[in-house]
Amino acid sequence: MSMGELLASGLAAVFNPGMFFMVCLAIVLGTIFGALPGVSATMAVALGLTFTYTMEPIPAIIFLTAIYCSSITGGSITAILFKIPGVPSSAPTTFDGYPMAQRGEAGKALGVALLASAIGGLVSAVAMFLLSQPLTKAALQFGPSDLFAVTFMGLSILTCLDSDHILTCIISGLLGLLLACVGQDKMYAVQRLTFGSRELLAGIDMIPVLIGLFAVTEVFKQTDPKKKRISAEDGVTGGKVNTKMPSLKELLSIKWTLLRCSVVGTVVGILPGAGATIASFMCYTMETKLSKYPEKFGTGIIDGIAASEASNNAATGGAMVPLLSLGIPGGNAAAVMMSALTLKGVQLGPLLLTNQPTYLSATFMTMIVTNILMVIVAMGIAKVFAQILAIPYSYLGPIILMLALIGTYGDQMSATSVQIMVLAGVLGLIVRACHLNSAAIVLGLVLGNMCEQNFSRGYLMSKANIFAMCSPVQHPIAGVLILGCLVLLLSPIIMPLLKKKKA
Amino acid sequence: MFELIINILLFIFLGFTFFTHVLEAAVPAKVAKNPFVLQPDVWPKTIIILLEICLIINIIKIIRKNKGNPAFTLPAFVKSIPTFLKSKQFLGIIIMVAAALLLETLGFMVTSLLVLFFYGMLLGERNLVRLAIASVCITLVLYIIFSGMLSVNLPRGTIGFLRNFALWLESIVGAVKNIF
Repeated sequence: MSMGELLASGLAAVFNPGMFFMVCLAIVLGTIFGALPGVSATMAVALGLTFTYTMEPIPAIIFLTAIYCSSITGGSITAILFKIPGVPSSAPTTFDGYPMAQRGEAGKALGVALLASAIGGLVSAVAMFLLSQPLTKAALQFGPSDLFAVTFMGLSILTCLDSDHILTCIISGLLGLLLACVGQDKMYAVQRLTFGSRELLAGIDMIPVLIGLFAVTEVFKQTDPKKKRISAEDGVTGGKVNTKMPSLKELLSIKWTLLRCSVVGTVVGILPGAGATIASFMCYTMETKLSKYPEKFGTGIIDGIAASEASNNAATGGAMVPLLSLGIPGGNAAAVMMSALTLKGVQLGPLLLTNQPTYLSATFMTMIVTNILMVIVAMGIAKVFAQILAIPYSYLGPIILMLALIGTYGDQMSATSVQIMVLAGVLGLIVRACHLNSAAIVLGLVLGNMCEQNFSRGYLMSKANIFAMCSPVQHPIAGVLILGCLVLLLSPIIMPLLKKKKA
Repeated sequence: MFELIINILLFIFLGFTFFTHVLEAAVPAKVAKNPFVLQPDVWPKTIIILLEICLIINIIKIIRKNKGNPAFTLPAFVKSIPTFLKSKQFLGIIIMVAAALLLETLGFMVTSLLVLFFYGMLLGERNLVRLAIASVCITLVLYIIFSGMLSVNLPRGTIGFLRNFALWLESIVGAVKNIF
């Protein structure tokens, strides 16, 4: 089947009234699932699966793909409005989204998040359709050393999360990395740092720490009567989101951010094991480094939201590339998608294009349509969610706490997770008082396991020779990336010293 | 002073962890004997060493920054502790710690009801009747949405009648779901 025929079959599959309605329904469900804390993209697809048992394969593929794409976008709504990332990949969206909402620019923040998500999703959908096979082949060339370098690149954000407190940011990042070591070592299953607790054997899950540090700490902070509370004036008036969308000029100012993060997000999504969370953190780092005003990141600028949202949605599409062309899922949500599609009789892998080309084209066209429709649908849902912000804080605060509790408990079905979440909430207060950085702790925790595992594998493969592992000759990708990371990591420390000398 | 104390405590705790809890089980013989394997304790120990170095620098920085500051004394810090223990923030922490510890025993519904009510009071709600009614309604809505509709397994509690009530509510939601 030629490209043209594939495209035509995809259009025919999606553009009929029944299917179109189904895509809309899936977007509504996916966005709501994504926005609810604790209902991750993985869970959203799993929940969506129950609707598809009686469906034919193509409608089922269309329905699940639309849920999968929109759930990642939904995560940004609560990240911006309540500082609760609906999905872990929306955590960097809180850095700039929440301050914007507090400044009365919730509508603009949501607009940027949704448009960036759409652009990221569209770029990755096109990449999936055109470059599925060559991109997968290229991604399979990435060895452990290269994957370690990719994760290390994500960690290089540490020195620029807070330029006034570089040392405390590094301490926070290292604490996050250490927290990721708790439990059984992922390579050889040796028990570490559990202090005898059986509950900690499986390690510290990211969700409770994330929700605790961001949402619970925020409510604790608001409990202090000396602090200014978020109110109706903070981005939401009378329960209505200030829907002032970003201007064309503002959007044009972030065009390169959108493009860069969409491309990088797609590539990271293709890499096995990486996924949307790493993509969003990595692109946020990258944009902080490339920006002309890095000090403004984290204070509420649209560049930060665009970087995070374009990349996490692009990674969602990117993960579909190895899934469809090789049958390798790029992340957890993609793994659930894989089982769902297999259940529907889809032969994932190299034979898909030969035996079932319509399934590939339907997936592609659904991704395109979903990403366009999502902007309108998600904005509507965001307005409904924002109604909650009009509620007095004496009601809203406890509701946020209960949503956080449900999100944490629902993830692992364990009260220990809830206890970790509360501890993380208290830790968040200590972190603030000590000028440490919550985002750096989360970053270390997110990247810790992947960083250690790939370093360990690379070390073994290079026969315990670290220099060979990062050598630009033997591992050019790893060599160049690590060199770049070191320059980026040290630049905020060295540059001021050089400037002082010159002066 | 609080910042300094936390840094010192963290330094001591990490030192203790380094020597006692990095490895808590024997490394398999095959792994331990392989010279090319990165031993399971190397990565966390490296992180702890880096942390200890950073903490020492940070402690020196904090002491230098606060040299001559009259508020930067241990007695001043000790004096501030009772004020914190009486604060709303501390009470809020107590409510959440209690909720986390009692969640599985009391079940989601009672825990939610208590958190919504007491935290609402703490945040300044004066109309207690309205707060109580709202707490019941919000709890039911959350339980129906998450447990009934989204099949998130929320704890039903270990106390007989609370568990039965949760099961009864779930059966009603299940029956409504079946109709549609």
